[in-house]
Amino acid sequence: MSGPVTIDAYLDRLLLELRGRARDVRRVLAEAEDHLRDAAAEGLAAGLSEAEAERAAVERFGSPRVVAGRFSDAEPLGVGRREIVDQLASSLALLAAVGLLAIGASGVLSMGMRSLLGDRFVAGDLPGVTYTPERCREFFEYHPEASSCAAAATAHHADEVESYRLAAGALGALVLGAWLWHRRRFGARVADDYTPGAVVGVLPDGFAAVAGASLFGVAGAVLGVQALGQMVGTGAGSGPGQWLSGALVSTLVASWYAVALLRLLVSRARARARSSPAA
Amino acid sequence: MRRRSAGQLEMLLLAVLAGAPRHGYGVIEALRERSEGAFDLAEGTVYPALRRLEDAGLVRSRWSEVEGRRRRVYEVTGTGAEVLTERRTEWTALVRGVDAVLGWSS
Repeated sequence: MSGPVTIDAYLDRLLLELRGRARDVRRVLAEAEDHLRDAAAEGLAAGLSEAEAERAAVERFGSPRVVAGRFSDAEPLGVGRREIVDQLASSLALLAAVGLLAIGASGVLSMGMRSLLGDRFVAGDLPGVTYTPERCREFFEYHPEASSCAAAATAHHADEVESYRLAAGALGALVLGAWLWHRRRFGARVADDYTPGAVVGVLPDGFAAVAGASLFGVAGAVLGVQALGQMVGTGAGSGPGQWLSGALVSTLVASWYAVALLRLLVSRARARARSSPAA
Repeated sequence: MRRRSAGQLEMLLLAVLAGAPRHGYGVIEALRERSEGAFDLAEGTVYPALRRLEDAGLVRSRWSEVEGRRRRVYEVTGTGAEVLTERRTEWTALVRGVDAVLGWSS
């Protein structure tokens, strides 16, 4: 037999396979343990050793994956469509909050780039861009100290990069605050939360980490290519900084999610190794 | 309360529980004994079936102290007993019909 051979190992594996409300998962585990202990006791009474009795009990009970699968053939334990939508919405809301905060962080980074490398590095116009006299007058209203229309336009564009991104960051903080409040208020979250209504693992393990690593990884790659292309093609004075700041923050966030996913995979692998028979 | 047809396994579980309330292991033992070993399924799969019966309102369960241990004990509801009677009638008619086709006396 390739699966778990002790009752404790079997229950560990079953817990990993089960999906649903925490109270329902606990009930399944409690009933499974009762059953396995009874079966093992019967084996002992029939003259088997403790190890043989547990192995026989576990084999007769069936594969943890099959047993857990039978529970979720219709739907995860005690979980309906509403709970699935709730969990999905919660995960996406958190991703949105992180995304907005990342945009805010890129705004802060842009400010730093601007002070070190100048307005043109962050928001310089591409070669050949011109403005009407009316537009120039508007730019000079924002930046009367500018030496030229182009300089005033660049300064104004750099202001916009910073202010819009910082506003997105502020919005992200609000969304995150609302998410935390909702989680505290209604108690529904994944993982090992035993408050009433808590749901265990309706979404696949690592869903948020995979989504985050993918989304922010792609964003970082696209923005990085844009920044590099602009620096190589038209030079550092054509505003690659706005893309570069976004690329750096996105890559950092993607790395954070990737590390979280790696930790989850390692812990699952260790749990499976603990619940497998010794070599 | 939802009332639906019980599958074959669920019909057998209802029949076992109709005799007396039992916990899951007791249900398996009774099923094995009464079938004289003919029904010897993966024991863990009984619990999802009991769960389906409970969701359908055909059985109910509660935690109970049995021989000093806390066990989940299942018993048939009134609706479950009615469904079992219907299924027994259907099964008897099916067996009679099959026997007739095969040329065996019932």
